[in-house]
Amino acid sequence: MRRTWEVMRAAAWLGWQVEANWADPFLFAVYAIAKPLSTTLILFFMVRVVSQGHATAEAFLFLFIGNTFFLYVTEVLIGISWAVFRDREDYETLKYIYVAPLHLLPYLLGRGFTKMATATLGVAVALAFGGLVLRLPIGTPGTNWIELAGATLVGLVSVAWLGIILAGASLIVARHSINMNEGLSGLFYLLSGAVFSIDVLPRWVQPISLALPFTYWLELIRRILTGRPFAGPLRGVSDGGLWLILLGSTVALAGAAILWFLHCERVARARGLIDWKTNY
Amino acid sequence: MTLGETIRINLGAVWARARVRVVASWREKSWVVGETIFPFLAMSAFVLVYRGLKAPPIYEAFVVLGGAMIAYWNNVLWSMASQFFWEKEQGQLQLYLITPVSRMSILLGMALGGIAMTTSRAVVILAGGVLLFHVPLPLDRALPAFGLFLLTLGAVYSLGMILSSLFLLWGREAWYTATLFQRPIHLVSGFYFPVRALGSVAAGFAALLPITLGLDGIRQILYGEAAHGLLPLVWIPPIQVALLGIFVFLAQRALATMENLGKREGRLTLRGG
Repeated sequence: MRRTWEVMRAAAWLGWQVEANWADPFLFAVYAIAKPLSTTLILFFMVRVVSQGHATAEAFLFLFIGNTFFLYVTEVLIGISWAVFRDREDYETLKYIYVAPLHLLPYLLGRGFTKMATATLGVAVALAFGGLVLRLPIGTPGTNWIELAGATLVGLVSVAWLGIILAGASLIVARHSINMNEGLSGLFYLLSGAVFSIDVLPRWVQPISLALPFTYWLELIRRILTGRPFAGPLRGVSDGGLWLILLGSTVALAGAAILWFLHCERVARARGLIDWKTNY
Repeated sequence: MTLGETIRINLGAVWARARVRVVASWREKSWVVGETIFPFLAMSAFVLVYRGLKAPPIYEAFVVLGGAMIAYWNNVLWSMASQFFWEKEQGQLQLYLITPVSRMSILLGMALGGIAMTTSRAVVILAGGVLLFHVPLPLDRALPAFGLFLLTLGAVYSLGMILSSLFLLWGREAWYTATLFQRPIHLVSGFYFPVRALGSVAAGFAALLPITLGLDGIRQILYGEAAHGLLPLVWIPPIQVALLGIFVFLAQRALATMENLGKREGRLTLRGG
């Protein structure tokens, strides 16, 4: 266990160096917050222009909170799988992981920590922008901030395990362009109801949405921050129920991720894909 | 080398660089899914958001067209502008530099291959938008819209050539700069809604990007007044032609300058920078 922790810590440090040591801290911070801010602005203009006065303040708050916390999904999920492509094809270091006394899985989870840190900065900036500039009521007098931190943490664990599933797939497929990453995060954006209530989804898609931990995670965060339920099909589920579903689905996801990743790793080694190059 | 040989060898380079991408995009099965189905689902999310916001149906058509154009912008950013960075990281850039062909031929090959790769994604988004979401796409105006689309691609990929010369010298900042350009340009290019909504000053600056103008013009051709156009339609094709010429000229100059600078500073073979 101690060894695994050391590997994760070293990988997180390495990830931080890869992410950040090319620029001074100020420039890096500018780069890190540009994406969440522009995403928030896209949403702001979209609601203002597109709804033509139909969207209420509550609807915008719903979109804003979902969109802001969804940044964790895009950054961490994609970050972990992208580390496979970068290490395999650009730095050509993936093969050296296998000749070192460590396992790839904790190494990749450690790489994910770096993305969690940068995503946290982005989420904090977006929330501050929403509260101070857009004058959104982020939190109520009764908001339990410790519960929010706990929910965020459990959600992050869930995202990290999904990232491991994607990283496993990345080991056995060719390097994908950014379109694949955009598409995958778009898929979860669609299914988890990040920016619209899942009642809008076609009826046959709703069960898929309800099978994803993110759907419960975003609903829980919205409830903690506003004190009221949002997603139609989840209105009947209590806060405690949401916590239970989130924790249970995270544990199930972790089990599935470990099994899938080990399978993909075996396939990649059997097919000689560990030092594959596919940047066409 | 005679002029004929020079032309032949450069055309060969264009074909060879484009072919790699075309063949790869169909050989890697996961790419076919990753480059078509997933982006379509991402675009679908926006259509559903618009329905949730009770937006006028024409906005769904705007976002479907925007989704198709985003594919090309992302391709320019990640597979044109930053491609030399990836090639440098893999130790392949020097192989291009020792060949007796123009760098512009290699970039043109990349652009043509990239357009071929990306078109599958754009077609799936458009077809899915029409068939599943029933967005209006008036086919009687498709030909002029397609003409403007081709002009726009020319100007956008020429801009990608300029950016690739800048990215030639960069290390990891290339990755972050591409990320930095992505979302803000999604915002100011009017991918999700007519750019005029940003206000005249912001929209005026955004119009310097050929993709903004192209998308604005294509929407005007297809949807007329409902497109809330930024500039009069008749201005857009000549501006795109001018931008195409200027960008190609600048790309050639920038590429030569950056290559020389890179050689002097020894940064063309620097990996992991």
